Amino acid sequence: MLLAGCSGELSALDPAGPRAASLATLWWIMLGGAALLFALVMVLFGIAYLRPGWLSRITPMQWIVGGGLVLPIPILVLLTGAALVLGEQLLPKGDAPLRIEGQARQWAWSFGYPGGAGPYDGTLHMPAGEPVDIAVTSADVIHSFWVPRLGGKIDAIPGHVNVIRLEADEPGIYWGQCAEYCGQGHDGMQFRVEAHAPEDFAALMAGAAQ
Amino acid sequence: MSSVNHTVLGKRFMVVALTFFAIGGFLSMLIRAQLATPNSAFIGPEIYNQIFTMHGTVMMFLFAIPMFEGFVIYMLPKMLGARDMAFPRLTAYGFWCYLFGGSILIIALLVGAAPDSGWFMYTPLSSRPYTPGINADVWLLGLTFVEISAVTAAIEIFISILKMRAPGMSLARMPLIGWYMLVTSGMMIVGFPPLILGAILLELERAFDLPFFDPTRGGDPLLWQHLFWLFGHPEVYIIFLPAAGALSTIIPVFAQRTILGYRSIIAAIVAMGFLSFGLWVHHMFTVGIPHLALAFFSAASALVAVPTAIQIFAWIGTLASGRPRWDIPMLYVAGFFCVFVIGGLTGVMLAMVPFNTQAHDSYFVVAHLHYVLVGGFVFPMLAGIYHWMPHISGRQSLYRLSVPAFWLIFIGFNLTFFLMHLTGLMGMPRRISTYPSNWGWDWLNLLSSIGGFILTMGFCLVLADLVLQWRFGRRYRRDPWKAQTLEWATATPPAPYNFAALPRVDRRADMLEPAKIGPVLAGARAISASCAMASRKRWASTCSPASRST
Amino acid sequence: MSGANQRALVLLVAGFTIWSVGFVALYALQALGCAFGWPQHRAILIGAYVVSLLPLIWLAMMKTVREGEPATSLSVAALWANRAALASGVLVFLPVTFVSACI
Repeated sequence: MLLAGCSGELSALDPAGPRAASLATLWWIMLGGAALLFALVMVLFGIAYLRPGWLSRITPMQWIVGGGLVLPIPILVLLTGAALVLGEQLLPKGDAPLRIEGQARQWAWSFGYPGGAGPYDGTLHMPAGEPVDIAVTSADVIHSFWVPRLGGKIDAIPGHVNVIRLEADEPGIYWGQCAEYCGQGHDGMQFRVEAHAPEDFAALMAGAAQ
Repeated sequence: MSSVNHTVLGKRFMVVALTFFAIGGFLSMLIRAQLATPNSAFIGPEIYNQIFTMHGTVMMFLFAIPMFEGFVIYMLPKMLGARDMAFPRLTAYGFWCYLFGGSILIIALLVGAAPDSGWFMYTPLSSRPYTPGINADVWLLGLTFVEISAVTAAIEIFISILKMRAPGMSLARMPLIGWYMLVTSGMMIVGFPPLILGAILLELERAFDLPFFDPTRGGDPLLWQHLFWLFGHPEVYIIFLPAAGALSTIIPVFAQRTILGYRSIIAAIVAMGFLSFGLWVHHMFTVGIPHLALAFFSAASALVAVPTAIQIFAWIGTLASGRPRWDIPMLYVAGFFCVFVIGGLTGVMLAMVPFNTQAHDSYFVVAHLHYVLVGGFVFPMLAGIYHWMPHISGRQSLYRLSVPAFWLIFIGFNLTFFLMHLTGLMGMPRRISTYPSNWGWDWLNLLSSIGGFILTMGFCLVLADLVLQWRFGRRYRRDPWKAQTLEWATATPPAPYNFAALPRVDRRADMLEPAKIGPVLAGARAISASCAMASRKRWASTCSPASRST
Repeated sequence: MSGANQRALVLLVAGFTIWSVGFVALYALQALGCAFGWPQHRAILIGAYVVSLLPLIWLAMMKTVREGEPATSLSVAALWANRAALASGVLVFLPVTFVSACI
C-alpha cells in the first residue's frame, strides 16, 4: 500500500534491478532510524515542558555526553561504515561484460555500443540480468545520467569520462533523465532504456552490425 | 544617510535584508505557481530559469547573510557592553556595498536579464558560449560586491569581539553568542575568498577568454565546483551558527536558568567551524571522484552531526532543568526543533554516498536544504524577531496575530517541503520548469504549491503583526523578558551610544541583572557627560577609558 | 588579553587546525597517488594517517593549563575541542585503510 504510492516509471523507490534495490533498502533503513531519532528528540522537548519533573534529575554532563556523544556516534559510525561497504560493492570494479558509451549534449542523449555497432535511436539498449557499464561524457555543458529504477546517477562532464554500472532484473522499458540543470531544454532530456533478454540483445547488435 | 552608528546600520541591514526576503519569497511563489500543475504554460523555461536562479541567489546572498550581519551589528556591541563596533566606517562601507551589489541583481531581474544558470553557476553552462548575454556577468559582479560586504562585516565582528568587550568581560565570561559570532566570522574570513577568487576567474574567462574552466583548452569545469562549494558548504554553517547563537541566548531566558554545558558548547562550535570545511565535496558525490576521496567527505559530513547533537541536547537539557515558560519566541523555538531535526537527519542520509547517488539533484535535496535553512535560520530568526523586536521598537508584542501566524508558517512549510522528499525519491529532478503528468508527481506538486501559499500568508501575517506592534504595542520598563544579558541594560529603543557609562562585568555575562545595571549606567550620564556628547557625534570610541564606571 | 587566555585560545583551535592540515594532505596524497599510479599508494596513505594522528594524540593528552593555575572555562573547552579533533581524525581518515582509492 505504502509502496504502491511510491511506484512510478522514474521512482527510486520502485527498483527494477539489484543495485537500485540495495539503494532503496538503505533508504528504508535510514528512514526508520531517522523516524526513531526524531521522535526521541521531540518527546524529550515535549516532556521538558509538559512533565519537567521527569527529566530534572538528569545532570548537565549526562545531557551532553549522553545525547551529544553516546547516542549519535555509534549510529553514525555504523551507518557510515555500512554505506562505505555498500558503496564499494556498487563501484564499477573490474570489467563488466558490456560497456556502452553515453554522450550528452544540449538536450539529448546518444549511446554507442562496442564495435561501433548498434541502433542509433536515442534509446539505451542493454541486456537484462547482467551488469552493464555506461561510460558517460558530455559534448557541451554538464548533464547527469540518471535511471532511477536501475541505479544511481553519474554526472556527464565535458573532458571527463565517468563510469556507472547498472543492472536490470527483467527485460522491459525503463526511463532515464538528465538530473543536472543544463539550460533551457533541461525539462525534456528524458531517454528510454530498453532491457532485452540476452539472446535478443545479441540479435539486436548483430542485426545492427549488418 | 551618512550614519556610521552600529544601531542605525544594523537596522538598515535588517530592513534591506527583509526586503530581499520578500522579493525572494515572491519569486518562490512564481515557482510554485508554475509547478502546481503538469505541462504548465504560466512562465516558460526562459523566465523560470531566471526565477529559480534568483530565488536561490537572493535568499542565500542577499537575505540570510546580511540579515544576521545586521542583527549582529545591531546587537553585538550591546551584548558585549561596548558603544560601537571596532570600525564604524567599515560597517557603513559594507552596507553600501551590499545595497549596491544587491540592487544590480534586482534591476537585472526587472529588465529580464537576470542570471539563469542556477545559484551555483556551474561552468560551462555559465561560460560565454552557453550564456552569451550579460546574465552571468550580473551575478558575478553584483555578488562580488555583496561578498566584499560580507568579508568586511566578518573582519569587523572578529575584531570587535576580541577588542571591544566591556571591562571585566574576559573571553571565558562572554555570552555564548559571542563565541558563535567569533567562530562564524572566522569562518567567513576563510570561506568567502574562494568564492571571490572563483568569481574573478569566471569573469576573466567570460570577459577576456582565459580558459580556466574550459575543458577544450586545458581548463576543467570541476575547478569551479571545488571553489564554489569550498565556500558554499561552510556558508550553510555560517548561516546556521548565528541562528544557533540566538537560540542559545533565547532558550535560557525562557527556561529561566543559564545555558547548560557552556564549555562543551564552545568546543562544539569550534568543532563545527572546522568540520564544516571538510564537507564541500558532498555536493559533488556524483561528479566521478574516486570512492576514497568521497569517503573522507562522507565521514566528515556524518560527523558534523555530533556537535549539532551536543547543542540540541544542551538546549533541551536547559529547558528540562529550568522552569520553562511559554511565550511567542518559544513557539518558534519549538518549530525550529521540529524542522531542523528533520533537516539534520536527512542531511546524514545525504552524506551516505550510495543514497546520495539517487537523491542528489532531486527534489529530496530541495526538501533537505529548505528544512535545514528554514529550520536552522528562518525559525530562529522569527524567534529572535519576537524576542528582540521590543528592544528595537521599545514596545511589546500584541500577540493577537502571533499565534495564528506561527501555525500558518509551520503547517505551510511542512506541507510544502515534507512532501518534496517523496517527490524527489519518485524521480523529480531539480530545476525543471515543467513536467508531464505520467510520472506520478502531480498531486505532490499541487499540495506543495498549496502549502507554499499558506506559508506566504503566514509571513504576511507576521509582517502585519510587527507593524501593529510598532504602532500600538505597550511601552515597557527595562528588560521585559527578565533576560540576563547586557543588551537589555540599554534604554529601549537604545541611545546611539548604548551605555552612558560602560558596565564593569564581574561574572559570566549571561548571568547579569540588566534591570538593575541599566538605571545605574544611565544615571552615570551626568558624570560622563563628555562621553555622551562624543557619542552623539557618532564617535563613541573617542570616549576616554577614564569615564568608565560601575 | 592575558597570557593564559591567549594560550587557551590557541589551544582551542590547535587540534582542529592540525586535523584540517591532515585532511588536505590525505586528500592530496590520494589524488597524487592515482594520478601518478604509485605502487605503494595504500601504504603511503596509511602512513600519513598514522603520522597525522600523532600530534592530535599529543594535543589530546596535553594539559591545557600550566601547573598551579586553575582550570578556566576556556582551558576546559580547549581540552574538549582537542579530544574532538583526535576523534575526528581517527574516524574521518579511517577510510584510507579499506576504501578503493582510485575508482
